[in-house]
Amino acid sequence: MTQGLTRAQLGVTDEMVAAYGETIFALSNNLQIRRGDPVREKDFAAIEARRHELGMGDAGIAERIGLTPAQVTLIRNLEERRRFRTGHYHLLNALGGGRRYRAERFVPFQDHFRFSEEALALRAAFSFDPERVRGYVEQGWWGSDTLSGWLRRNARANPEGAALVDERGSVSNAGLETRVAAITAGLHHAGVRPGDVVAIQLPNTREYVEVFLAVSSLGAVMTTLRMTSRGPELAAQLGHSRARMLVAPDRIGDFSPVGWWSEHRSELPLLETPVVLGAEVPRAEVPGALPYERLAAGAPPLPRDWREPTAADPFLLLYPSDAASGRPKGVPLSYHQMLSNARLGIAEHGVRAGDVVLSAAPFGDFCALYSVAAALAAGAAIALLPAFSPPALVDAIERLRPTHLFAAPAHLAASVGADLLDRTDLSSLRLVVLAGKPIPPDLVRALAPRLPNGEVCRLWGMTEIPAGLYTRKGDGPELAARSVGHPSPGTEARIADEHGREVPRGAKGELQVRGPSVFAGYFDNPEATAAAFTADGWFRSGEAARMDADGNVVLSGRFEEVAGR
Amino acid sequence: MDERPEVEPSQAKTEIFAYAHKRGALAVGVADLDAIERIAPPGHRPTDLMPRVKSVIAIGVGGQTQGAWRVPAKAMAYFGSTETRAYSCSYALAFFIESRFRTPSIYCPPDLDNEEGPRIPLQSLKLHAELAGIGARSLAGDILLHPEFGYMYFASVFTELELPADEPLAENPCPAPSCVDMYRRQGRTPCMKFCPVQCLSGKIDAEGRQEEMHYDMAACAEMSQQYEAVPAILADAMGAGDEAGRRDALFDPDNKMLWYKMSVGSGGLLAQCFECMRVCPIATGAELADPIRRARAGR
Repeated sequence: MTQGLTRAQLGVTDEMVAAYGETIFALSNNLQIRRGDPVREKDFAAIEARRHELGMGDAGIAERIGLTPAQVTLIRNLEERRRFRTGHYHLLNALGGGRRYRAERFVPFQDHFRFSEEALALRAAFSFDPERVRGYVEQGWWGSDTLSGWLRRNARANPEGAALVDERGSVSNAGLETRVAAITAGLHHAGVRPGDVVAIQLPNTREYVEVFLAVSSLGAVMTTLRMTSRGPELAAQLGHSRARMLVAPDRIGDFSPVGWWSEHRSELPLLETPVVLGAEVPRAEVPGALPYERLAAGAPPLPRDWREPTAADPFLLLYPSDAASGRPKGVPLSYHQMLSNARLGIAEHGVRAGDVVLSAAPFGDFCALYSVAAALAAGAAIALLPAFSPPALVDAIERLRPTHLFAAPAHLAASVGADLLDRTDLSSLRLVVLAGKPIPPDLVRALAPRLPNGEVCRLWGMTEIPAGLYTRKGDGPELAARSVGHPSPGTEARIADEHGREVPRGAKGELQVRGPSVFAGYFDNPEATAAAFTADGWFRSGEAARMDADGNVVLSGRFEEVAGR
Repeated sequence: MDERPEVEPSQAKTEIFAYAHKRGALAVGVADLDAIERIAPPGHRPTDLMPRVKSVIAIGVGGQTQGAWRVPAKAMAYFGSTETRAYSCSYALAFFIESRFRTPSIYCPPDLDNEEGPRIPLQSLKLHAELAGIGARSLAGDILLHPEFGYMYFASVFTELELPADEPLAENPCPAPSCVDMYRRQGRTPCMKFCPVQCLSGKIDAEGRQEEMHYDMAACAEMSQQYEAVPAILADAMGAGDEAGRRDALFDPDNKMLWYKMSVGSGGLLAQCFECMRVCPIATGAELADPIRRARAGR
């Protein structure tokens, strides 16, 4: 309680604590620095010169970020309790204290929640205007969503419900939680710490989801490598992301990721431990590699005072596939950005607990990860298609009975072209979400009548804003054939000319977006970040587009080409 | 208060100091009011609280007993109710000034400032004591130390009686010579070395004086927040969403230990871990730092 008022009376929600906690903590006067002895010497000039170093009181912070002082006091107290897990009598007793001090038991304070330099650099990529944050929180766009929180909630609400379905059968919510806990402990035992980056080069398998959730539960950050990545592309992403661990199969065709790592490890000094899935465990030939099953078995549990990630933490570092060559453009995303996008989207897509969500695209794709997040947000099952081919897709649809399919146009065009869909039972599908470019209108028109119980929607997004705009259920195939619909909840969209001025409805220009799910900036690439945003905070998508009278956006190629830039 | 006796300010000061000593103060001083007004931020100045204040009297009472310094670390926090004595002494002193000199006086509340939160006190008792010459800032997070009495607890009295101000201590007793020696050899003083959360650091100059003091209050709070443990636990329990959450908040293993201590222990306030003071040669080793030393010195 603060000033005799309860948390509810003060109007402080979990979301507010998650959104504001770090900012308030950073602004508080936590570090006292004194040079010389100015008060005793009555050196008023020195006192005045250093007054600003004292930090801010709760009232000053409240004025700065737009809360009441009492709310700030409460949030700061909660944030400090979360960070410090106070009540460490056991630690004090174990140390002995004073002249009974036992140096061998000493743990530097900062090690209780130490972030590596690389992790701190990644966190520094998240910078938000407090006023916008306040709006996101007040509107409910940013919540306290974390993947580990959703996993735990699903396991409690429906322990026997299916979390994963694939050709081997299904994994229950409770089973997935148990499995993820074991791998989380294994990752920690292997040296992964909050904020560290773990690279994954895996197909859409159970292991992918397990590792993704375990990395998140640990407060670490996942970067996804495309299954086709080799040589220079691999080195560039692993190096730029500062990845500390690589999880990959023993073979991708005739390529051995761990073998490649072994040959190039001197170029990647931070990448210490590759984890290998598959029959060939190359421990003998590649010292340092760790078999996946060993990672998942027998590691000691996490320390009792382990700090769970909060919604403001980063958990993804994605690299757009269409990025031009040159300095890599890593897109860090926090739970706030990615998960609120999914949470708000499930009502629009009609995803519910008990549904089954299938992605034809590999999970490294932003839209596929969005589908995974949407499934977890709703308590739906994730259907797994390890490798796309038209026959594999239709087989998965018939056997796994998805209610929702997320796919790129190429996936379905190939299936339509091979006349496979006509011979497939598509009755389970309530929604097919097409994402990617270009989407031929005829594909939408050809697909819609083949869905006896479903509809086709179109989604526009990028790594920088996973689900930015989409058509809604009930919009009809004609709208989806010509348009990507209107913005996702919380997202604003406008069409602007090359000078950044909004153009009238119907006129062509560049599609620009902003909102709670738009990324904050590229990792370690300030030039690209500066070029990506307008002065007033709109993200320049690079898409040429116009907005119709109803607010639906129609894409028409790349803006640079249209504008002749 | 209209029959104010004619008393020389210096005579009044002597009587006030004698009364404070009689009530248990080890050290008493009058702070330079103008200096406080210049240093304290707006809203935290003596005139903000008492517009016609003329003098600020700071008193210090003895800290832990020698026995308290010797018990194991875990129990240390339960022996710290000395500030209550400081407050009762200053409370009595305010009454004494009003009855003897017919002049309005108040015992200065050390409570939290509702506007600024717990990190910024309504009035800085530390600032009053330092300017009154009964303590100087140490490398141990600016805890005030006195060359004779070591580590004390402080309280203040504001009065409209004009008293001659004292000067701050001419020399800062911190760092002690042994601490300077250790710093030269190891780069750390005892308080820096033995802090369980490593919240202290700093530099000592070539003359053996403090050059810089760094105190990470947030780190210190890792140990010290037991001070607020009971209200915090109750707040957690009241804020819990369901019965299980309330049970967890109240009967977490650490908290169960706390309830046990509270029910069978002194009932006093909880406090910081005090490891920095336990190993401080001034806090525990000053000539008159504890009752045993004072008895030996005939005081």
